[in-house]
Amino acid sequence: MLEQLLIFTRGGLILWTCKELGNALKGSPIDTLIRSCLLEERSGAASYNYDAPGAAYTLKWTFHNELGLVFVAVYQRILHLLYVDELLAMAKREFSEIYDPKRMNYNDFDETFRQLRKEAEARAEELKKSKHVGKPVIDGKKQGQVKKGGFEGGNKKKSEANDGGDGDTGKSYKLETGHSNGNHVNIEGSRAVVANSKENASSNVGAFDVSKLQKLRSKGGKKTDTVVNKGSNVHPKKKITKKNRVWDDSPQESKLDFTDPLEENGNENIEVVGTDHGESMMDKEEIISSDSEDESEEVGKESKPDTKKKGWFSSMFQSIAGKANLEKSDLEPALKALKDRLMTKNVAEEIAEKLCESVAASLEGKKQASFTRISSKVQAAMEEALVRILTPRRSIDILRDVHAAKEQRKPYVVVFVGVNGVGKSTNLAKVAYWLLQHEISVMMAACDTFRSGAVEQLRTHARRLQIPIFEKGYEKDPAIVAKEAIQEAARNGSDVVLVDTAGRMQDNEPLMRALSKLVYLNNPDLVLFVGEALVGNDAVDQLSKFNQKLADLSTSPNPRLIDGILLTKFDTIDDKVGAALSMVYISGAPVMFVGCGQSYTDLKKLNVKSIVKTLLK
Amino acid sequence: MEGMEQWRNEAKQWLQQGIEYAHQIPPTQLYAAAAVLLLTTLFFLIIRLFKRTKSSTIVLTGLTGSGKTVLFYQLRDGSSHQGTVTSMEPNEGTFILHSESSKKGKIKPVHLVDVPGHSRLRPKLDEFLPQAAGIVFVVDALEFLPNLRGVSEYLYDILTKASVVKRKVPVLICCNKADKVTAHSKEFIRKQLEKEIDKLRVSRSGISEADVANEFTLGIPGEAFSFSHCSNKVTIAESSGLTGEISQVEQFIREHVRP
Repeated sequence: MLEQLLIFTRGGLILWTCKELGNALKGSPIDTLIRSCLLEERSGAASYNYDAPGAAYTLKWTFHNELGLVFVAVYQRILHLLYVDELLAMAKREFSEIYDPKRMNYNDFDETFRQLRKEAEARAEELKKSKHVGKPVIDGKKQGQVKKGGFEGGNKKKSEANDGGDGDTGKSYKLETGHSNGNHVNIEGSRAVVANSKENASSNVGAFDVSKLQKLRSKGGKKTDTVVNKGSNVHPKKKITKKNRVWDDSPQESKLDFTDPLEENGNENIEVVGTDHGESMMDKEEIISSDSEDESEEVGKESKPDTKKKGWFSSMFQSIAGKANLEKSDLEPALKALKDRLMTKNVAEEIAEKLCESVAASLEGKKQASFTRISSKVQAAMEEALVRILTPRRSIDILRDVHAAKEQRKPYVVVFVGVNGVGKSTNLAKVAYWLLQHEISVMMAACDTFRSGAVEQLRTHARRLQIPIFEKGYEKDPAIVAKEAIQEAARNGSDVVLVDTAGRMQDNEPLMRALSKLVYLNNPDLVLFVGEALVGNDAVDQLSKFNQKLADLSTSPNPRLIDGILLTKFDTIDDKVGAALSMVYISGAPVMFVGCGQSYTDLKKLNVKSIVKTLLK
Repeated sequence: MEGMEQWRNEAKQWLQQGIEYAHQIPPTQLYAAAAVLLLTTLFFLIIRLFKRTKSSTIVLTGLTGSGKTVLFYQLRDGSSHQGTVTSMEPNEGTFILHSESSKKGKIKPVHLVDVPGHSRLRPKLDEFLPQAAGIVFVVDALEFLPNLRGVSEYLYDILTKASVVKRKVPVLICCNKADKVTAHSKEFIRKQLEKEIDKLRVSRSGISEADVANEFTLGIPGEAFSFSHCSNKVTIAESSGLTGEISQVEQFIREHVRP
């Protein structure tokens, strides 16, 4: 049954809790809900899952935007209560009638709520009874499809749990069974999952790999009850020796490794160019244009130049008169226009969709003040939401972290990950240059042992910057190279180790596993995802898959996820800055650096206000 | 129609009479009258300006989970009702403090603002700081050491904001949850904060961040930082939101919001 139902104000005061359901909630689900969901602009989602030691809850909520109230219902995840949404809506209606800002005590609501609950439960019972009649028929048909259904459910649930990054790492444990035949729970489970996975319909379904399915089917069902969620790495790692690819009839090259025999002090061969390129742009203050305030007003005026004459007249009339309450249908045209504008600025489509839903949820039911247009109100709400998302959740002062690590006499390890060709090595050198300017000793670790020329590239950078580089050549295990690099850094007293890895596509299973092993083995202080600002909808896929794979394939209970984002090639996009928003929204990680050019000084910090201004222009 | 004509004629006559009268007054008198009018309006405006600079806003801020909302409701109603959750919006109110409501005489109501401490909602603080007459920085004395870095960074940011330094806004560091057994003492907290801010000075000196500009530096370079180096007054006190031990906070508020 329902664990708890709370009513609280947006300012944080609890107005009413149900005293009948007196169970104390384990952990702090409400606070976590607020921090990881409502403040992250995911309030358009259907529900939120919370896991604490000893409990697994699902939370559902609804807002009363006019009075500034939030209604939250908590129940055990195993029970799929169907009446919660209805109950919340009814409770909202009843409570808003007796609400008074001066009143703090609402004990009379207990009685009302008891009745509402009985009604809702009764209605749910009826619905269930009517469903039961049709069930045996479906049972027979679904026998053959149970396995697949169970799998789909399992995969979806797994990826649903990891959607959104670090907030949501709840690992579901009951739907991974692929072999229970015609299990009642299984069918209900998969149906419920299908019902619950509205919010993640997009990218995660694509991860379903048919070959995985066949492999697992052949392995036999050994995971019916155990708490396992890593169905993907069942098969043992087979060590495949790499066979050289033969392109044509040319004789095989015996030697593929063309690196020069190591000359640690081969500096005399190449002239060392003095590397003082001036101050890195990280330290320069951004000159924000002072006419930003005027611009925002102008935008409000000219935002709807092409509405029909009649529409303009009626909207003017409404704005003066002030309609009673904002309905979703009123907000829709304004939201759609805003969504299109965001998408023209290269924000991923599903992110724009989710954002608009969240803004709609926060504006619905609000009283429209006179002399304001709906579009300006929506714009203001969207601006606030964007500032909130882009403001980092925790401090991104890397220098402070480095100093803290220095005190503990350990090197501060940063790992750069990303897909192919986004600019990891280039930006690694820029970050090294910036750190050097602040009198921090840096060491580079060349763990890109795959791409030809990667080690030489880093070596050149190291020579120009005059910092040590740890390399082991090509075709070595990157995780081991990184480990040795960190030990070397601890030995020679470097403060920071920057680890370069090979670019890899997010769908490539063996490479993602290797990356996860590197992260798990070395436990870096910062996992920096390098993404280019030119990317479009793929940003969502990249980040979510990287996070998911890092979580799944790691063998520790607290997997390391992406801690920060480095946005590159920012100078190539004029004002299509949406990739920043997509990446931050989907992963929850802040943007720590912005690369805006190809020389050492082209590294900036993200200016939240200017990005928001550009997005809404 | 005839009534209208009559009315219009009468109005015209009155107008003509008024103009004749005005022409009769010698010009110097007219100028004198206008000057007096101007002076009195200026006088009133200046008085109002002076009155406005004495604001009565006290801002409650601190990290999330330190107890600001509980303190707010204690100050206002004398109890924290049924508990609180993480605030998503600021709590504002203009009222007489609960403990003073029994006093007789004219007491100026205090405008108290409780700003959410969640890092995503930090920009809201900037809306209220320009009108603040005093800042109460609430610190969780129980979970102090794990959050030490976050607390000191936030405190450093506040102490180096232009609106705080220029107007010399007094700050009270309030060590909340002092009723718990394992809560730290205010001396310990003060020493730890001074040490951390000293370190922050070194790492933040000269760097300007794009989002929050540390426009001023704290303290005297070369010497270990101490709160006495700040140009505005920084004091430290203990309190307990849950039990209602908020006398030191109330004292601070009364000091800086003069009736």
